[in-house]
Amino acid sequence: MQRRLLIPVLAMVAVLIFTSQSIAEEVVKVGAVQPVTGRFAFAGVHINAGLQDALMIANEEGGINGKKIQYIMEDGTYNVDVAVAAFKRIMSRDNPVVMYGESTGMGKAVAPEIKERYKVLYSSTSFSSELANAADNPFVFVPGPTYSDMFGILLKYIAQEKPGANVAFFYSDTEFGKDPVPYGREMCKKLGLNLVAEEVAKVGGVDVASQVLDLKRKNAEFVIFQGFVTSPVDAVIKQARDYGLKAKFMGTHWGTHKMLLDKLGPLAEGYLGVMPYAFYYQDEVPIMAKIKAWNKTHHPEVEYRPTSYMQGFFTGQVFVECLKRADQMGQIDGETLVKALQSIKDVDVGGMMAPITVVNNKIPMGRVYKANVQKGIFEPISDWIHTD
Amino acid sequence: MDILLQVLVTGIATGGVYGLIALGFVLIYKATGILNLATGIFMTLGAFICLTLLTHLGLPFWFAFIATVGFAILLGIAVERLVLRQLIGEPIISVIMVTIGLSSVLHGLTHVIWSPDYRSFPEIFPPEPLNLGFAVVPSGLLWGFIFAAVSMIVFISIFKFTRTGVAMRATASDQQAAQSMGISVRWVFALSWSFGAAAAFIGGIVIGNISGISIYLGDIGLKVLAVIILGGLDSIGGAILGGLIIGMLENLAGLYLDPLVGGGVKGVAPFLILVLIIMIRPYGLFGKKIIERV
Amino acid sequence: MRCGDFKESYIKDEQIFQSLFVKFWLVVFILFLFVLPFMADPYVMYIANLIGVAVIAAIGLNILTGFTGQISLGHAAFAGVGGYTAAILMTRFDLSFWLALPCAGIMAALAGLVIGIPSLRVKGLYLCIATLAAQFIFEFIFIHWESMTHGIRGINVPAPTLGAIVIDTEKKFYFLTLGIAVLAVGFARNLVRSRVGRAFVAIRDRDLAAEIMGISLFRYKLTAFAISSFYAGMAGALWVCFMRIVTPEQFPFHLSIQYLAMVIVGGMGSILGSIFGAVFMTLTPELLNVISGAVSKAYPTLGQLFIPMKEVVFGTLIVVFLIFEPLGLAEIWRRIKAFFLLWPFSY
Repeated sequence: MQRRLLIPVLAMVAVLIFTSQSIAEEVVKVGAVQPVTGRFAFAGVHINAGLQDALMIANEEGGINGKKIQYIMEDGTYNVDVAVAAFKRIMSRDNPVVMYGESTGMGKAVAPEIKERYKVLYSSTSFSSELANAADNPFVFVPGPTYSDMFGILLKYIAQEKPGANVAFFYSDTEFGKDPVPYGREMCKKLGLNLVAEEVAKVGGVDVASQVLDLKRKNAEFVIFQGFVTSPVDAVIKQARDYGLKAKFMGTHWGTHKMLLDKLGPLAEGYLGVMPYAFYYQDEVPIMAKIKAWNKTHHPEVEYRPTSYMQGFFTGQVFVECLKRADQMGQIDGETLVKALQSIKDVDVGGMMAPITVVNNKIPMGRVYKANVQKGIFEPISDWIHTD
Repeated sequence: MDILLQVLVTGIATGGVYGLIALGFVLIYKATGILNLATGIFMTLGAFICLTLLTHLGLPFWFAFIATVGFAILLGIAVERLVLRQLIGEPIISVIMVTIGLSSVLHGLTHVIWSPDYRSFPEIFPPEPLNLGFAVVPSGLLWGFIFAAVSMIVFISIFKFTRTGVAMRATASDQQAAQSMGISVRWVFALSWSFGAAAAFIGGIVIGNISGISIYLGDIGLKVLAVIILGGLDSIGGAILGGLIIGMLENLAGLYLDPLVGGGVKGVAPFLILVLIIMIRPYGLFGKKIIERV
Repeated sequence: MRCGDFKESYIKDEQIFQSLFVKFWLVVFILFLFVLPFMADPYVMYIANLIGVAVIAAIGLNILTGFTGQISLGHAAFAGVGGYTAAILMTRFDLSFWLALPCAGIMAALAGLVIGIPSLRVKGLYLCIATLAAQFIFEFIFIHWESMTHGIRGINVPAPTLGAIVIDTEKKFYFLTLGIAVLAVGFARNLVRSRVGRAFVAIRDRDLAAEIMGISLFRYKLTAFAISSFYAGMAGALWVCFMRIVTPEQFPFHLSIQYLAMVIVGGMGSILGSIFGAVFMTLTPELLNVISGAVSKAYPTLGQLFIPMKEVVFGTLIVVFLIFEPLGLAEIWRRIKAFFLLWPFSY
């Protein structure tokens, strides 16, 4: 009888112990749920590195007025359930003041609870316009322009280049792909552009011939990609040339990166993209020297840091700025951090972007870049454009 | 009309590639009765192994290709020996679930070994498309089709004209009789897995060339299930013909139905066709009619 | 040691709780489940709710796959149907949660009938592939039927209310989940020892003989499919109300595989097995996350390597259980119990 009692009682006690809290320390905690495995891992790994590096560099430069930042990361696997579980685990166990999330889906799932219960400053990998609404949820912000803003920048550029042009959208069948499309349709009407086609394709699709042929049939002159990173953009552009479709191709943040140029080679001629952050090879940007030096010491095997890294890094910069301001305002907690966020005006971020101002919980700024086929990089052809 | 012809031609080219992947499924099913749901991850592995041989070891393409097929054969034998032998006599659902479990294991290992970054093959084939006058075939698809066709001819020749092939066909037809004729059924199983894995590996290389290599390359493997159902689960010819038909139907559906539904029809069309076939003629075009109806 | 344990009637033999000992510990366990929320933090409550939902779905799948022998690779799609139904009813038609929940189950059961009627006429492998096709077709419908489902935006679901109480925290929701899970388990356990349950098992074991004995194969298979889909629909609806949002990305193929893994690892053909499987397969990734977190703190580079190993562990668990313990955790549990019960004669 005694023996049989022991195991179940032990099990129950173990569960109860496991659920108790840990002791807090005197540091500033930043938690993150990163998609380091799963569908977004190719970017998640770099976003994580960028965010962490920005915070660690800030530590080296004195931390938050002397207090060190502690970075706590868990894997969200790009799956809303797992990500929310990780989010709650970090909140329960470590009680950070700032959190970073891995996807639009996760952001939408935790947003109401952040507002009502957790009250932490929150940002994420997502540029969805649904997450940039200061009136609705002041704790959540987008670290850059929204996809809609990016579409706006591209469409304005098209309207200047060729008024009344035929425009087509080519997007993926996901939230990521569809997010800015309704806004895009409206903007086309407003700018007097002719939206002739909307093509949908799967990421990594083998065959995009019917979509490309439709574009040819409808005589598209400008095609904007959304929701893809590399595949099937390269296949579409290549097949467009094969079938004789003469259109200019453009991409938003995730479609404007060096890997695409490497894959396309000479086909990238004329490709335009909108990018909110600086590129790793832009040595004229002051912060790049710091990033390169840091990576040399801490990640010597890395040769190039893609745009996802820059996004993570920039978010880290914004976090650090908010934390410093909140500390000066008196205390580092959610509500003060929100005030700190709203107070950011014309702050210098070392060239990662032009001096930033937070507008409606986003930073609606970007630059149009053109592909330089010989050098295999993007070069800016416009100055920093502010939308809104 | 022009567009229609073009779409049909592209459909045939894509269908050829589907046929090759379907062969990977059918070869294993025909001999062992197992539906290998790990075919997708086999494709991904094939593409990655070939890429590593090409870029890290700098081998010429033909060498890398043959070496990759060699890996496939080893993988097939390993899977049969280590995993499937333990499951003889278990119900079919267990074996299918094991292939799913295997798929997860290999997927995780691929993630660890090769990192989730998206990659592409260096230029293996000439990039000019084939201009048929009334239609254009893009280079990736063209060479994919050629590869698929050549591989299929090789496989079918092995089946028809070599002793090993005859042994495999005998085992697929009647295991008891084959064993009593002195054929080692265990070796035949291992070989079928090797061939199936080889077909999947080649399919992976082809797809990798067309749309790039990532750890999610193999997702297309599930679409190919529609091909094998259409063709008949145990028919090689059916796999090929089914591939061509599905390739064409999919593209036609995409061209005509996408505007109605808002896109994405190409992804779901094979599955709708699959349900339709199961309702009307579950054993497909050329499969054996041994389905018991309830 | 329990001895002299023989039954004198069929009713006694079929009893679910066969001794005072079992009944006593069951009461203690249920008390523990009730007390847990008051001692645990929101994270543990979140996991508890997740487990509850998984239990309901796993039991549904086990009824179909474990008891009737019909393989389904599309269970997540039916959960999705249930989830979307509940969301649409609660937002568009302002139905209360208590009405929406059974409606979600019924809708999912109807969807199950739609898929089942063509595909249950053929056996084994074909049903497997047909349910796989159903999974992707439903996903397509979730994304593209925008007028109903709001497409990829998803639907924000209000919290269930019970009179004046709004059930919006993990703790409050936990009681709801607990109640529904207990009901689900009770119904299933009784179903499988009833006439219908015996018919299911007969179909699984020897369908030809079952048909000869007068069991209409098609009718009973369809019933199993419908019940299984009903359970899935309820699980989906519960989950959607818990997360307060429903999107097409919540019900992917991978989830179907997870449910199947719960059934297999837990034990096919055993209700207790479904519970074990659900708990085990939900806790294992979390445990791995905890371990990888600890490893990352101590050895950062090793931690990065460890994180993708979770998938390897998931796959390995499935393969290992299928090879070495095909009857699952339930069988291991039975063996442990037998060891204690029959000691010192446990061999």
